[in-house]
Amino acid sequence: MKKIIVITGILFIASLVMLSFRAEPVTPANYPALPRDSVGSVKAFMSVYKVLMSSRCMNCHPSGESPLQGDDNHIHTMNVKRGVDGKGLYAARCSNCHQAENTAGLHMPPGNPKWGLPPANMRMVFQGRTPRQLALQLLDPKQNGGRTKAQLIDHMAKDDLVGWAWHPGDGRTLPPMSRPAFAAQVRLWIAKGAYAPSIKTK
Amino acid sequence: MINITVNGQHHDVDADPNMPLLWVIRDIIGLTGTKYGCGAAQCGACTVHLNGEAVRSCVTKINRAAGQNIVTIEGLSINNNHPLQLAWNEMNVPQCGYCQSGQLMSAAVLLRENLNPTDQDIDDAMSGNICRCGTYQRIRAAIHKAADIQREGAKI
Amino acid sequence: METNAISRRNFLRASGLAGTALCLGFYFPANAKKEQLMSATDQSGFEFNAWIRIDTDGKVTLTDHRAEMGQGSYQSVPQIIAEELEVNMKDINVIFAQGSPTKYGSQITGGSSTIRGSYKNLLKLSAAAREMLITAAANQWNASANECYAESGHVIHKPSGKKLNYGELVTAAAKLPPPQEVKLKKISDYKLIRKPLQRLDTPMKTNGEAIFGLDKRLPGMLYAAVERNPRLRGKVKSFDGSAALKVPGVKQVFKVQMIVFNTTRDGVVVIADSTWAAMQGRKALRVEWDDSGFEHVNTSDIYKAHEELLKTKEGLSFKKQGQPDPIIEQASKKIDVIYQTPYQSHGAMEPLNCVAHYQSDKIEIWGPIQAPDWVQGDISDKFKMPKDKVIVNMTFLGGGFGRKAFLDYTHEAVAISKQIGGPVQVVWTREDDLTQGPYRAGISYRGEGSIENGEISALKFKMAGQNIDHWNNNKRDKANGSTTEGFLKPYFDNIKNISFADVPYEMPLPNMWWRSVYASTNGFAYESFINEMAVLAEQDQLDFRRKYLKDERCQALIDKMEQVSGWKSRKKNEGFGVAITECFETMVGQIVKVSRHTDGKVKIDQVWAVMDCGWYVNPDIIKAQVEGSIVMGLGAAAIHEITFKNGLVEQKNFYDYLMPRMSDMPPVEVHIMENTADAGGVGEPGLPPFAPALTDAIYDLTGKRIRKLPFNLNTV
Repeated sequence: MKKIIVITGILFIASLVMLSFRAEPVTPANYPALPRDSVGSVKAFMSVYKVLMSSRCMNCHPSGESPLQGDDNHIHTMNVKRGVDGKGLYAARCSNCHQAENTAGLHMPPGNPKWGLPPANMRMVFQGRTPRQLALQLLDPKQNGGRTKAQLIDHMAKDDLVGWAWHPGDGRTLPPMSRPAFAAQVRLWIAKGAYAPSIKTK
Repeated sequence: MINITVNGQHHDVDADPNMPLLWVIRDIIGLTGTKYGCGAAQCGACTVHLNGEAVRSCVTKINRAAGQNIVTIEGLSINNNHPLQLAWNEMNVPQCGYCQSGQLMSAAVLLRENLNPTDQDIDDAMSGNICRCGTYQRIRAAIHKAADIQREGAKI
Repeated sequence: METNAISRRNFLRASGLAGTALCLGFYFPANAKKEQLMSATDQSGFEFNAWIRIDTDGKVTLTDHRAEMGQGSYQSVPQIIAEELEVNMKDINVIFAQGSPTKYGSQITGGSSTIRGSYKNLLKLSAAAREMLITAAANQWNASANECYAESGHVIHKPSGKKLNYGELVTAAAKLPPPQEVKLKKISDYKLIRKPLQRLDTPMKTNGEAIFGLDKRLPGMLYAAVERNPRLRGKVKSFDGSAALKVPGVKQVFKVQMIVFNTTRDGVVVIADSTWAAMQGRKALRVEWDDSGFEHVNTSDIYKAHEELLKTKEGLSFKKQGQPDPIIEQASKKIDVIYQTPYQSHGAMEPLNCVAHYQSDKIEIWGPIQAPDWVQGDISDKFKMPKDKVIVNMTFLGGGFGRKAFLDYTHEAVAISKQIGGPVQVVWTREDDLTQGPYRAGISYRGEGSIENGEISALKFKMAGQNIDHWNNNKRDKANGSTTEGFLKPYFDNIKNISFADVPYEMPLPNMWWRSVYASTNGFAYESFINEMAVLAEQDQLDFRRKYLKDERCQALIDKMEQVSGWKSRKKNEGFGVAITECFETMVGQIVKVSRHTDGKVKIDQVWAVMDCGWYVNPDIIKAQVEGSIVMGLGAAAIHEITFKNGLVEQKNFYDYLMPRMSDMPPVEVHIMENTADAGGVGEPGLPPFAPALTDAIYDLTGKRIRKLPFNLNTV
């Protein structure tokens, strides 16, 4: 019996460590609740924010109707537009160039089966958002695609398109931390109360 | 063997599954209307329809097209009489003509999805296709013209 | 009607012709100054090829002796011939000539010369054929030729209404001597010329049928991709092709050399059974290069050197009248500014390619070739093959802009074919096309000028930059022959003190003609400077030009520009700019209108262009050429440039050598001046005035004078 408890305990810890990548059932382990801690929560969010505002994430969460490109976040050449479903318009659909996987080579189109922007009715803008604005937006189901906090964690931790940011293809810089570290910070932010940074936080 | 359908014809292609559709169409199937311009999905000269979408065949591996329907410029119409082709001829659009297969294939998707495209719609649909001769103004006019032709045709 | 005499000296005509066809052409003997009209199919000592061939079944075949690279020779050459020949455009078949200067004279499709260089001959030739057919019919009817006329491929006897088609007449006509002189139509009588007819090559360019160089296929043809030194002139130190040879489809790997004028450039070629396999094999190559001498070429150094030269050297005088130096020195109202223009790539949509088939007794080439006659001569020389055994076939060109008049890619393809002993298509990638050059050289200019009593008292221009002529000869003690290209000649009549000089600048970067050549950079500097002088004189830019461009055609052009653009009634918050340049005997004035839009960015709202090219053929093709020239001018002014870092070209593909796209296209309105002057060029002269007119408009709107190209339209 003791053995079983120990094994269970090990598994529990292991699952806490290996927080992402697997389609795990909704368990308290994935969505831990910790004592509310506004300082710790905001600190975690600021790490999350840095990732979300990095080029690999922000370029497809632009403030305008066009995606961005490159580490300088310039507007996507070719006058590419979001379209209603976020997948482009007419002859400029995302998947016309962006394949299910990255095309090899510098400056070649990156790819993912779900490649696209958020749709026009749920634009999920990152570009230009302050930490507070982005935190509140992420937590608001009306602005985050109807996600609960648990679903938000899942999205950040497991979504395949989000995960592209850490496998962006030749020559593209990575977000400032690994995906597991990022997912852990998302969990911490929410576990400690999902606080939004103050207006002054930049 | 990879089976693809090009302009209604079935082809069993013995090719590296990573070979871009462009080179399969040009070098193996032998249809040369689809052009190589950049090999990086930058210029649109290689645009073909894959299940109706204007894909850039230079970055689309043959694998993706397996079992799918492909239409190239040679299959856009039977008699060079797609409303866009009629308008292209009437407005004398091409200069060197090299990019025009791709321009037409892109415009065909626009016109299918939007019966009365505005200038903005044309900008949004057509900015992925480069024309070094600078025929953009005529392409724009010809798309408007083709929309007219298409509507007239619909009335009959 | 005009009467035109045809040279009778050494006049040639058919003697023993079977009479299966009437063929007419000019013969360009290598050592004769003047071409000769002839009707023959085979004369001793030379092979004859006609511009006009009419078969007994009435089929009319016309030859386009120049490259069709978008500029419309495939339409405009036949359109000229059909006019005087009296045939319908729909009834003719057009073929491309093979390279042969003895048959066609110069075939280099450059300098906007196709029409201006050959229209008079083509008119005479076609009229001669028509007269021979009329005479043949008159003879048959025992009527006077004066009672007969030609129309729509038939000769008609006016009094009786009798009618014979050309096919029925060719046997008899071919036996007649070509007329000594012919009557040419008046412009007002033209039925085809000056009409906006649809281009004959349009249908095949809308359904994929047109065959470009890259579309040429031969039985047993292999494909080749070549890894060339990225530093432009380095040598292969060693290479390892073992991995490349393991790529499925790859057949051979070997070193190849391409001779460009007096330099040899090394590459390693991969031969395969498909383009893709050759490209994949090439990626697997390992090549060690000897780059010595080229690793220190940097764009910033080039422009620093230009500036230093312009500040410290007087250079080689190209043209000087009066004494500008002392006047400028003593003047109180003067300016002294530097203009800079970037290196540019031609960037034709069809990357370079060439199909070559070397055989022991002949060499045949197919490709997008701007100068088939040059290629024939070059290949004949380099491979020691008699000229008549070097067959150079032109396909349609997917753009040329000067690049496809270079002889490197054709020579390389023949060398590869010779090595493998069979037909091969060499395919350049976009990256090859952009990184290998040759380029339009970036040129810097210094303009100095003074105003006294509202008039230009002196002008002094100096240019510093690479000289194309230095590639293949050593006339280094002479100023660049194109120092004033682009600058309107009438300025010299009314500016007393003016000088132009070229400060030689040597840099081992391959450079080459680029659409409108030096006018494309000169025009920016010289016309920007005229605009700056107008500001200094506190005068309207158009009125200011009127004072110096006093000849009738210039005045008419300026009037037209003013009228079509609403120059006088322009509103506040609109920037209007102007420039007029001349090259290849054609003058183009442009007015650009800009405004600041709600997003804060300056947008080009409208471009008006007025072209005076004298006698012309097809107004719609002319308008298209000017529209396209403006797009190319926009790219070079505000969108792209070629830069060098440590000897490497920094731009690789359209992701970093950006192109104007649909969403960048401003509305362009083109007007053609009507007059009876000799024909000028059409394909290029529309480009140079755009950049200075645009920057002038931006100055008008913002007060900021842009003197360095390219600039970013989004940040002005």
